[in-house]
Amino acid sequence: MSAGVRLAALIGLLALGGCVARQESGPVTLVFKYARILGNADPLPGLLREFEAAHPGVRVRAEALPWTSDDQHQFYVINLEGRSPGFDLMMLDCIWVPEFARAGWLLDLTSRLGPDELAPYFPSAVASATYDGRVWALPWNFNVGLLYYRTDLLTRYGLRPPQTFEELVEQVRRIRAGERDPSLDGYVWQGKQYEGLVVNVLEAFWAGGTGLLAGDGTLFPDPARAAEALRFLRGLIESGVSPAWTTAADEELSRRAFGDGHAIFLRNWPYAMDLFESPGSVVRGKVAFASLPGRAHGQRGVGSTGGAHLGISRRSLHPVLALALARHLSSEPAQRAIALGAALSPTRPALYRDPAIVREHPAMPELLRLSLAGHPRPVTPYYLLLSATVQPEFSAALVGVKRPERAIADAGKRLGYFLQAVR
Amino acid sequence: MTSREAAARRRALLCVAPTLIALGALTVYPGIWVIWLSLQRRIPIFGVSRFAGLENYAFLAVDPRFWSAARTTAAFTLGSVALEVVLGVAAALAIQGQRRGRRLSISLLLLAWAMPAVVGAKLFEWLYHPAAGLINVVLGYPINWLGDPGVALPAVILADVWRTMPFVAVLCYARLLAIPDDVYEAAQVDGAGRLATLTRITLPLLGRILLLAVLFRTLDALRAFDIMFVLTGGGPAGTTETLTVYAYRALFQTLQLGFGSAVSVIVFALVMAVAWAYLRLLRAGTVAA
Repeated sequence: MSAGVRLAALIGLLALGGCVARQESGPVTLVFKYARILGNADPLPGLLREFEAAHPGVRVRAEALPWTSDDQHQFYVINLEGRSPGFDLMMLDCIWVPEFARAGWLLDLTSRLGPDELAPYFPSAVASATYDGRVWALPWNFNVGLLYYRTDLLTRYGLRPPQTFEELVEQVRRIRAGERDPSLDGYVWQGKQYEGLVVNVLEAFWAGGTGLLAGDGTLFPDPARAAEALRFLRGLIESGVSPAWTTAADEELSRRAFGDGHAIFLRNWPYAMDLFESPGSVVRGKVAFASLPGRAHGQRGVGSTGGAHLGISRRSLHPVLALALARHLSSEPAQRAIALGAALSPTRPALYRDPAIVREHPAMPELLRLSLAGHPRPVTPYYLLLSATVQPEFSAALVGVKRPERAIADAGKRLGYFLQAVR
Repeated sequence: MTSREAAARRRALLCVAPTLIALGALTVYPGIWVIWLSLQRRIPIFGVSRFAGLENYAFLAVDPRFWSAARTTAAFTLGSVALEVVLGVAAALAIQGQRRGRRLSISLLLLAWAMPAVVGAKLFEWLYHPAAGLINVVLGYPINWLGDPGVALPAVILADVWRTMPFVAVLCYARLLAIPDDVYEAAQVDGAGRLATLTRITLPLLGRILLLAVLFRTLDALRAFDIMFVLTGGGPAGTTETLTVYAYRALFQTLQLGFGSAVSVIVFALVMAVAWAYLRLLRAGTVAA
């Protein structure tokens, strides 16, 4: 054996020994990627320390993701496609799960979970963590679209929360005629060209009895009804029921207008309630939420569901530990701590009747009813392609530069071209 | 060529080789790779990868969203560069005319330029806020700055001009300082008025530096991304979606690497064409001067 070969063998042995030694004795570090949680007290550090205490020799490093959903998605795509196993556990927006599962980036959890382990979660949350008949993530927090209203104003005019959009329009007329406050807007929602617009339009589609993607994969199964829904939304702006700036409004812009007392109705997610009820809020004690309205000759209103899941990277070196951490974070005690400390709703229906949580958030039982009724956005690996393609078309119909029929037809044509390549 | 010359040439080649290799690895290779990608249907996460020839370009040729993005890019570039040049020159002249506080003015100008584009965009997001925004409060009239398809692009241009006009102003100011006083004195002796001095002396002497400023600003404006991405996300109705935003959406949001690369290649060609035209202009200017 020459000296060179011997040296190489020695180095190889040393390297191998180093690896083995590290795996056996050194502490294991799990990396958890998550979006920072807003709220009065971030419960996450405490939850992670609990996990470390229960698993000696394991450290968890929580690394914050970029701020916006788009940037988070981009971060994951670049890192997962680039095959860098830089993290073990990932917080995922529920709309990404089918895409990431199809790409082969997520660990298939189906056989690792107990037979009834998913039973305590919202069925719709489990559905959005499922793709191709297999489970890819554990539901962590839950969201549903709600109609917020000003209880003081509705009571003053003897009104109950509207069941249909037609009623809502009528109530806005009556209240504004009586209040004579030019700074009081009627119904504020999200019409900016972004994901939130797609959510709002989907809710209008469902109220009108149609959808974006049928069960068999047909795009715009009923284009006439879809166009009618867009025309109705445009009408809200044209008639002044919704302010002109709706076309630039995201969640926060609309939430602030309502929170400043400048609107009667608001479509938003559950997180807004805590902010309206916080000390110093001008609408404190004057806000309640109800189901989104339906349409007079259509369906009952339902909110779109959303939320975050916990998925495990297929390249994680510690899949068993990562799953243990995911279980810990989505367990009942952990979700209770998150519901109490941060403005995020649990994915376990039982917690909506939990005395400690109901004491803090009295509207939880009502939120449970609406969460159970909620509808998921289309569960498809092409969701982002779908959403990015329809956004400018929906926006064009809303601002009135395109007829709704035309916008629907154009969106369908573009999607057809892109999807033909991947289906 | 003598042998000594040949040796010198070899040594010179050896000396520039690291630079050439670095440039090749960092720009030429990825550039060629992007062009190659643009000829494919490639969506890695769905396992799609096939040669498509000019299919992507054929689709773009009849794609209304692409042409809208191209028009938006052109309007944004023309609008913002023109305003930046006019306001930049005006600002430079104003600072030169100041007796006191020139340094302070320059520092204030540079503050805007030094601000990251995203921070500047966030600032304008608040200024344009429909109800609480300073601009609407001062105007006393609610303009739907970022939600009206006719107003959104001008609003984005305005935000960009605010941030980048100082670049033009500072370049021009530096040139103005270099114009000797006796030129102006001679003009005064010849009885030239203020306007004549401006149009016959100052502006012509600013010409070359302005051309350079316009070159830099045009190339930046053609690739503009962050300002509209933060302010409007390309909306409403796609009226503020530039080619780079469109490319970003295709590449990073919907992961269509082939299609997105085709858009990028077009942006690249556009930028190269403009740079080439300007460089010719500059060279012609040098010969004339």
